[in-house]
Amino acid sequence: MRPLIATSFILLAALSAVGSSKPVTTLQLPCESQYQDLSPTGTQLVVHCIDRSTRVISVPEGRERRVFSADEHANSFVYSQDGSWLAVGFEDGSVEVLPSQSAGQSKRWKASSRRIDMIYFFPKGERIAIGPVDSPGQVWDFADTPKLLASLPFEFGGMIACAVSPDGKLLVAAGDDTVVRWYDTETWKKTREYRGFLLETFTLSFTPDGKKVLAAGADSRITMLDAATAKPVRQLPTEPGSYIVYVDLLGDANQAATVYVDNAGKKPPHAAIWNLSDAKSMAIKSDLPLTCGGLVGGKLWVCSAAGKTLTMSQYN
Amino acid sequence: MNFTRRELLERCAAFGALTLATTVSLPTLASAWDDAEKKKPTPFCELGPFYKREAPHTSKLRAAGDAGMPLAVSGTVYNTRGEIVPNAKVEIWQTDNDGYYDIEGYRYRAVLEPGAKGSYSVESVMPGHYPSRVCQHVHYLTTAPGHKALITQLYFATDPVFEGDPDKNYTRDPLIGSRELVRPVVIKGDPKQMIAAVNFDLVMETL
Repeated sequence: MRPLIATSFILLAALSAVGSSKPVTTLQLPCESQYQDLSPTGTQLVVHCIDRSTRVISVPEGRERRVFSADEHANSFVYSQDGSWLAVGFEDGSVEVLPSQSAGQSKRWKASSRRIDMIYFFPKGERIAIGPVDSPGQVWDFADTPKLLASLPFEFGGMIACAVSPDGKLLVAAGDDTVVRWYDTETWKKTREYRGFLLETFTLSFTPDGKKVLAAGADSRITMLDAATAKPVRQLPTEPGSYIVYVDLLGDANQAATVYVDNAGKKPPHAAIWNLSDAKSMAIKSDLPLTCGGLVGGKLWVCSAAGKTLTMSQYN
Repeated sequence: MNFTRRELLERCAAFGALTLATTVSLPTLASAWDDAEKKKPTPFCELGPFYKREAPHTSKLRAAGDAGMPLAVSGTVYNTRGEIVPNAKVEIWQTDNDGYYDIEGYRYRAVLEPGAKGSYSVESVMPGHYPSRVCQHVHYLTTAPGHKALITQLYFATDPVFEGDPDKNYTRDPLIGSRELVRPVVIKGDPKQMIAAVNFDLVMETL
């Protein structure tokens, strides 16, 4: 199983350590849960229950909008960047896209015969990229009847991570084969590739100006790649014994938040903020048992679940 | 003297070494024989994490003093017609006995070259358990010209997770999609130097 667990709450746990908080709401969960996914609007929560069912609930009333039983084997959940859609990947290779705010119809289709491990929403438009296990990555347009736009092959295995440039013209995709490939989103032709990684890349992110790509993964360091040439610009120091599951840019884009996981999963995940200019990092510690988080209206929201009671707080 | 299967059957029938029932023809028999010798492809089991390119070409992963039960894995690389696949490349990686993958270096990682005979063997230690995976396992990536890359994992029938009954309990690890991947373990050697020996043949699909 790929180690791409929900990590945003960990990141936000890190950020929360440097701000002050105020409670937003407390709600009763339908089940005991160790982690949740918060929608970017702050009005919905995907609750991963310890009985392996998943429940989508509205916030703050806690009303269940959708239940995925354990037998349905829904295993990947991602909100679109504007929070208007929720995509779900299933064990049987199906994908479902649900309008998260309105009562509109959801769309479900069989995209692959393999489990869907990764889903990525394009910044604009009704498009997603999905990563079925051990199969080429796929790009779908779901504005009408879902239509396959592109298949992104690898030497072996499947697609682990991808990101689309802010202008929507470039997609970078990382595969099990450790190669990161560049695709033109008009023609879907591969334009460049980077073969400098010996290990898998688990997370990709563009800088806001679209000029650089941050890649990180099993080698436990951030590599900055030039988006125009696919050549490495800078590599930050490694943290031995860990790997990176999440990296994204903060504030002025000169800082990157990074979440590390212990190689053997025997220590708790931890986070650091890297200054990309001077390659210095600040390790962040938090004693709070946080279980989810997200940016809502430009503010950080974090959750803490104890039993079936979940408390949300907003950080400045 | 190389005969095709059909030619051999015809010679056997001609010389009286083979007698067919009236309801069976030679072509039918040859076809049935072919079918009986076909091999099912080794079941897929996912690649990651922690595959690493450019592992050393060695069959000795176990060093003196390494913790853990010594492990010897051997096997042969076939295609689904039951023929040896020559010049395959078998990449394997696993944790150490404590459940840690070596990410910085190449401990317990190797590229094996079965060559024309298609057989491979490797000396290692029994991999450890770690929290995000239920069972001990060894990762395999096997490639060969003209064949689909085979990505799978080897499991051990002696894994405590199975409580001695892998037939019943192999699904305790949700990643084990097939009982075939859980292989019997034969303990060899003397009491002071025991080795867990496992045979794991690999069957690749042609492109």
